[in-house]
This record gives sequence, C-alpha cells and structure tokens, in this order.
Amino acid sequence: MNDTPSDTARPAALAIDTQLIRAHGLAAIVTLLIAATFGIVASLQLIDPGLTGDVTWLSWGRLRFAHTQGIMFAWLGNAFFAFLYHAVPILTGRPVTSARLGRWLFGLWNFAVIMPGWILVLAGISQPLEWAEFPLVVDAVVVIALLLAIVQFLPPFFSRGIEHLYVSSWYIIGALIFTALAYPMGNLVPELVPGASGAAFSGLWIHDAVGLYVTPLALAVIYFVIPASTRRPIYSHFLSMLGFWLLFFLYPLNGTHHYVFSVIPMSAQLTAIAASTLLGVDVVIVVANLLLSVRGSGVFPRDAGLRFVIMSTIFYLIVSVQGSLQAQMSINQAVHFTDWVIGHSHLAMLGFASFAAAGGLAHAWQRLPIARYNERAISWAFWLMLVGVLVMVIDLTAAGIVESALWRSGAPWLDSVVAARPYWIVRSLSAIPIVAGFVALWIGLTTGPDADVRARTTVAS
Amino acid sequence: MAYLVASVAGVVFFAMSVVLLGVLPTRALNADMRAMGPAKLPTLTASEQRGRIVYAREGCAYCHTQQVRYVHADMARFGAPTLAWETQFDFPQMWGTRRIGPDLAREGGTRPDDWQFAHLYAPRTVVPLSVMPSYASLFDGAANQPTNDGRDLVAYLSTLGRARELAAPEGEARAREACHCPDDEMAQMAFEMKELNAHPARARRTGPVPALPSAGDRAAGLQLYANYCAGCHGATGAGDGPAAAGLRPRPSNLSAHRYATDRIAETLWNGVAGTSMPAWRDQPLDRIAALVAAVQSLGQNASVDEASRSGDDLGARVYAANCVQCHGERGAGDGFSAASLAIAPTNFLKQQPFQSVALRALTSGIDGTSMAPWTSRLSEADITAVVHYVRSLYTGDAKEGRR
Ligand code: HEC
Ligand code: HEC
Ligand code: HEC
Repeated sequence: MNDTPSDTARPAALAIDTQLIRAHGLAAIVTLLIAATFGIVASLQLIDPGLTGDVTWLSWGRLRFAHTQGIMFAWLGNAFFAFLYHAVPILTGRPVTSARLGRWLFGLWNFAVIMPGWILVLAGISQPLEWAEFPLVVDAVVVIALLLAIVQFLPPFFSRGIEHLYVSSWYIIGALIFTALAYPMGNLVPELVPGASGAAFSGLWIHDAVGLYVTPLALAVIYFVIPASTRRPIYSHFLSMLGFWLLFFLYPLNGTHHYVFSVIPMSAQLTAIAASTLLGVDVVIVVANLLLSVRGSGVFPRDAGLRFVIMSTIFYLIVSVQGSLQAQMSINQAVHFTDWVIGHSHLAMLGFASFAAAGGLAHAWQRLPIARYNERAISWAFWLMLVGVLVMVIDLTAAGIVESALWRSGAPWLDSVVAARPYWIVRSLSAIPIVAGFVALWIGLTTGPDADVRARTTVAS
Repeated sequence: MAYLVASVAGVVFFAMSVVLLGVLPTRALNADMRAMGPAKLPTLTASEQRGRIVYAREGCAYCHTQQVRYVHADMARFGAPTLAWETQFDFPQMWGTRRIGPDLAREGGTRPDDWQFAHLYAPRTVVPLSVMPSYASLFDGAANQPTNDGRDLVAYLSTLGRARELAAPEGEARAREACHCPDDEMAQMAFEMKELNAHPARARRTGPVPALPSAGDRAAGLQLYANYCAGCHGATGAGDGPAAAGLRPRPSNLSAHRYATDRIAETLWNGVAGTSMPAWRDQPLDRIAALVAAVQSLGQNASVDEASRSGDDLGARVYAANCVQCHGERGAGDGFSAASLAIAPTNFLKQQPFQSVALRALTSGIDGTSMAPWTSRLSEADITAVVHYVRSLYTGDAKEGRR
C-alpha cells in the first residue's frame, strides 16, 4: 500500500534538476553559518556587552531577530527544499512541477525573503513577534513563496492515488499546506488584534512554526532516510499514520502553553496544557516506531546520513517529553522566562531539526550524480555538532534552574544576571564545536570524490 | 475522495486550534476588557507611540517581558498581575517570553527620567554589573542629550502600568466586581496587591525601615558599593561616577558628608524620592548593613574637613529668617513647605555636609532641587555663619533632638 522509498527508485528520467538540490543545499550551509554567527555574537554580547560598540546594526535585539529567523527560513528552509527535490520524485515517481519554477523559488526564498529580511531587521524594520520578526513586506513574499512551493511539490502527490502515499509524503503535504495557512495568521493577526488576544494568536504561531513547519518536514526526512538507508521498510505503517494524525491534531493546540499563568482565559491554557501532555504520548509512539525500524543498525551507524537522523529521532523524543513537562503548571511556573527554555529551543532547532536537515542533505548528496561527498568530514560534523548541542543544552538547562531559584528566592535581579554569566560563557564556548561541525558539514558536501569515483570504489570493494 | 476526507480533517484540526486558542479566548478577553477596564482609557500620545516602535525594533521585548504573571514570585517582585485591558492598545503585543532583565509592565513611575536616560545611554555606568546593551545611538553624545527617538522611548517607558495606576483605586474595585470571580483564587490575585507596583527600587518619601543587623561588614560593603553604587557616586564616593554627569540632582558626594547610621539605612531602604537614587529593598539586610558601614567609611576623611564649631548667633538668625520653611525649625528637614517639594530638604540632624559642600550648596544651589543659590540675598558673612550653624546641628547616631 505504501511505497517505501528505496535507493533504486530513482529512474534517470526523473533526475529533476539536481542543480536545485545543490543550490539549496549550499545556500543552506552558507546561511547556516551566517545565522549562527548572529547568534554567537549575541551570546558574546551577554558576556561583553560592549563587544560591538555602538553599531546599531549589531545591537543585541536585532541580532536575536536575525538569528532565529535565519535558522528557521534560511538554514532549515533551504535544507528542506533541497531534500524535497530529492525525495518528492522518488516518493511519487514523478518529477516536481517545473525546474524553472524551482529557480524562481530559490531566488525568491534567498534573495527576496532571507536577504532583505536580514537587512531590514538589522536596519530596524521588523515586528517584535517571536518567530515572526521579518516585517510584513517580507512576510508577503514568504506567503507567495509558500504557495509556489505548494505548486512545485504537491501536484506529483495528487496525480497519484492516496493509497500510494508513504508517511513522508503525508508529512510533506501537511507541512506545506498548513505552514501556508498558519504563517499569515501568526504574522498578521497580532498586528490587528491587540495585547492579550494578540498574544494568544502569537502563541498559536510560535507553536505552529515548530509544529506545522519544522517538525513535519524533519519527520518527513527521518521517515524517508531510515528505510532508504537500511533498505528495510518502516516498522509499522499504522503507527506512522497514527503518529501523523495525532501530530496534526495536537500540535496546533499547544500554542497557549507559552502563556501559562497569564490573563488569557484558563480554558485556553488548560486546553493547551492537555494537548501538550498528549503530544508527549504521540511523540513516544512516533519515536518508538522509528527506533524499531532501525533496530540492528546501532545507534551510531556507519552511514552518516542515517546516523544524523537516528540522533535527531532521539533528540525529538527528549525535547518533546521536556516540552510536555514544561507545559505543566508547576514546572512552567518555575522555568518559564529562564535560559531553560532557550536550552529547550536549541534542543528542538539545533538538535532535532538541524540533525534531521543535515541527515537529509547528507543522504541526498551521496546519491547526487554531480556532487562531491566527503564521508569523513560528514562524520566529523556529526560528532562535533553532537558534542556542541549536548554541552549547550545541558548548560542552559542548568542556568535556567539557577535563575529560577534566584527569582523565586526574592534575591536582587542582578544576582540572577551575575549567576548566569559562567553558564553564558560555557554556552558561547559550545559554539566552537557546533560551528566546527557546520564547517565540517560544508567541507563534507563540497570536497571528496564525486559520484563517479564513489560508484567505482563501491563496485571495486 | 480519500484526499477530500484527509484535507477536510486537516483543515478542521487547524481551524479548531484557531477557534479554541485564538478566537474564543479573544471573545472572552474582549468581554473581560469591556467589563473590567475603565470606561475611558488613555491612549498613547504620538511621542509615546513612536517610543513603542523604538522599543519594538530594538528587541527590548526579548530581554524584558511586559506581563506580570499570576504567580507569587512575579507579584512580589513586580506588582499586580497584568489584566487584559492594560494591553488593550498594544498593536502588536510585546508580552515577551524571556527575562534577562526584569519585567517592565510596571516600569512607569519606577525610575525618574534622568535614570532612564543615563541607563539607556550607558547601562553599565549606572548599573556596573548589567548586561543590557547600550543604546547610545538614541543620544547626541551625552546622556542628557537624547535624540527624539531617545525621548520618545523614555516617554513610552513611563506609560508602562500607568493606565492601571491612574484608574486605581476605583478601577480596582470596579474590575474586581466585574470579574465575578470571588472563588477563583488565581483571578483574585490580580487585586491582592496593596501597591500595584512592587518594584523594590522604586523610591518613596517615607516608609518603615527594618532593623539592621548591628555591625555591617565594611569590606563586603565596599565590594557591594563598587558593584552597585560606584557608577553614580564614584569609586571614592565623590559623586563623580561615570553616570553622574547626566543626573539631576547629581549623586551626593558621600566622601564629603557625615551621615547618621539610620539616615543611610533609611536612604538605602527607601531611596531618595524625586531623584535617580534608587531604593534597595531587594537587598538582604546584611548587605544593607554592610553598605551602611561602607558609606560611613567613605565619609571618614574628616581631616580635610574643618571641625564644626558651634554655630554662633548670626548663623542661627540667618537660618531662622531664610531656611526654616524648608529645612525645619530644628533642621530636621521638616519645614512647613517641605512636604510640597519634589525632593525633600536635607535633615541636618542626620546628615552633615563638609564645610566645602555646604558652602557650595549656598553659593551655587543644588541643581535639580529647590535649593537655590543665596549669594544675591545673603552676604558672605551671613553665608559663612549659616554654614557653620547648619553643620553644628548634626547629632550623629545620638537620639534625634539632643541639642
Ligand atoms: C540583552 C538583554 C537586554 C536588552 C536587549 C535590553 N535590556 Fe533592559 N535590562 C537588561 C538587564 C539585565 C537589566 C537589569 C540590570 C540593569 O538595570 O541594567 C535591564 C534593566 C532595564 C530597565 C530597568 C528596570 C528596572 O529595574 O526598573 C529598564 C527600564 C530597561 N532595562 C529598559 C530597556 C529598554 C527600553 C530596552 C530596549 C531599548 C532594553 N532594556 C533592552 C537587559 C536588557
Ligand atoms: C543612579 C545613580 C545612583 C546610584 C546607583 C546610587 N545612588 Fe545614591 N544617590 C544618587 C543621587 C542622585 C543622590 C542625591 C540625591 C539628593 O540630591 O538628595 C544620592 C544620594 C545618596 C545618599 C545620600 C542621601 C541624602 O539624603 O543625601 C546616600 C547615602 C547614597 N546615595 C548611597 C548610595 C549607595 C550606598 C548606593 C549603592 C547601593 C547608591 N547610593 C547608589 C544616585 C545614585
Ligand atoms: C525651598 C526650600 C529650601 C530653602 C528655603 C533652603 N533649602 Fe537648603 N536645601 C533644600 C533642598 C531641597 C536641598 C537638597 C536636598 C538634596 O539634595 O537631597 C537643600 C540642600 C541644602 C544643603 C546641602 C546639604 C548637603 O548635604 O549637601 C545645605 C547646606 C542647605 N540646603 C542649606 C540651606 C540654608 C543654609 C538655607 C537658608 C539660607 C537653605 N538651605 C534654604 C531646600 C531648601
């Protein structure tokens, strides 16, 4: 019933413009380094606030906007697009709509969304809404780009019977459609609806950005790469689909958990808390299914693409269980507003999502006829990023606990700022392995033997 | 067909989330705001509105929340939990989800403008341990020369929490009644606060001062002084810290005063209302005691000060004729017009300026306060005499009133 992706299912006739895979893949890495740099400078400013002098463009708040928008749109967006160009033809047996449209989409995404978005927020034209900082002009282009992405990637699925849809396909369809729906809501409605109500809508979007855009696409990668690398079908198609539907049911209902103990009606808060709790259960189902599918491959298999997505799966479990706990009132009361939550979002975006994106890139790259691929560098990228994420998340979680204890003790506010400093230093240091890992990823995708050589050595061995 | 079912299911899920967590709460909140908010709500002026945009674009909301939650730790530190109607004009909302700095929902009326300007211009001159970014670009090269953006931003800060303060106490009573929530513990928390703004740094004219542990640790106090006070009062206490230039009145020269212990304790606990001198009610009492010891040690440089000889007749007469309405008959700072002054006149029983400081106060006045220069009204001899007189009033740590 479901067409599990396999390595062989890529008829030459479908070789959709591999240029697009390469272009999005490389754009992903270059913009990843830029977005990470914004984050690193912002983190260093917490250690030395005078670091960048009085250059308004590099002021902390603006860098903070550019950092998160960059990770979400530039790095993850490009990496997911690269993956879609690889995966959609294989999943559907049909080419994507148009290579020309692909070039437009690439140009629009990178040169009409990311570049101007960054320039404008750094210049001080932005909106102060989390995960929605690019100003409305850029948002309009984002919506156009999302619609174009729907036109580009979805028709191949629809021209095929639904019974052929593999779970990755479901996630791709869901992600593209619901991001296009949720995005305008999150970016526009708070401009029109004030205060507390605006916050309710912002909360929806904060969680939809993660739940309807990042998570489904990352899961699409994971569900795709695991069977394609292990050459075994996924453990249970039923569990896959159960997980899918529960996710799309529960994720959007999480939003208000960002505003627990606020004036937003208790019914909404409790709904969100309940949904957050159930979501943890859903993720356990999804992850169990995924891990059962890779049993026998080891936690750290040789194939770096597979290794990345397995680790991503594990991060997904941890971050989701943590999320369910954080939504509980007793824990939320303590850790909300602290660095704990910053640790949580890095576990989600850098651990879960970025590992999936990197795994998807590595997987696609190995199969690209024209690309170079350096296995050792990719392997290094994995270990460096792993060490970095673990250090950062453990460190920020501890910082959050300390801050929370000081806030509740009634100590002077500055005590919590001073106490956070050593943790902030460690957080900045964790950027060293992380960025080294990103650079290794870049090296891995730009050096090494090209496909012909790889094919020959495989045959020889 | 299957596609149709799936799409409908998906869209229904999404729509349900928007309805449950967006539309319905909005309706409930609108009803709340109508019922609980004051009939007429002051909107932001054009300048305040522009300041809001500066606040938005600089990402202040990513270090500062504007949302006091219904939890005790928040209320103890910041004040009454935020009600829906308070952010009724926030397009878009800036509630924030992270606190590196404190919540600002009740910032209006917490600190005077000169503190805000000095702090935005160069936060570490005012708060040496701060990590807040400097916003010098909102100034023309000095803390007391804000650009329009800088002025607008501080105007905006002064609006935070203002509507609620203005509406109180009738507003509180009305909201409580309209809330229909006598049994809802959480909702009731919004009305429990005696003061809407509980900020421990907000200066107040008077207030009970807790008893301090007797001997403060001077060495620890000097360290605290370097971390909290030196930015304004200067490393040696000479009132010449890096933030001092922008402040009106300027920070006191602590090394050229003698203060009674309880006077310092009172100043630290309550701040100096009307000036940038904050209160330090969030500091543990042993730290306050240590700071008191440190401040006293700064003023022990008595060798440079002329011993105060007892006031002569001329001094007493000049004082009685010119100074009593403010500084009070006995010099306790409690003259009949004292209460109407923004900044309280000096209490000479508890505070003894060095000769040079007192002389300068009379010849040049104290900028930023109602203490005007007296050179046009008093002769040099009068001034010298009255300076001696007011200095002779100091009783130190002895009981007030011993003369
Ligand atoms: C990097 C985080 C950060 C950013 C960005 C930031 N602040 Fe702060 N802010 C702090 C910290 C930490 C403190 C506490 C220490 C201090 O008073 O400087 C603080 C304190 C304050 C206070 C004093 C609060 C009180 O106790 O009464 C005000 C007012 C303030 N900030 C306003 C602003 C404004 C306005 C902006 C934007 C232009 C801003 N802050 C941006 C970190 C930040
Ligand atoms: C933001 C700047 C600022 C900071 C920080 C500050 N002060 Fe002050 N302080 C002032 C100003 C301004 C005055 C003068 C008020 C006046 O003219 O009455 C003052 C006055 C005083 C006085 C004299 C009170 C009086 O009635 O004349 C004492 C004592 C004092 N400060 C101690 C401290 C100590 C101790 C600290 C640190 C815990 C501190 N100050 C921190 C600005 C500051
Ligand atoms: C209009 C009210 C008013 C009158 C009249 C007045 N003062 Fe003052 N005086 C003040 C205020 C207010 C301060 C400033 C307190 C502060 O900065 O905290 C002050 C400060 C002083 C100081 C400085 C104290 C210090 O520790 O730095 C001296 C000395 C002083 N006054 C002496 C006099 C004398 C002498 C007269 C009469 C000739 C007089 N004042 C009349 C209001 C007045």
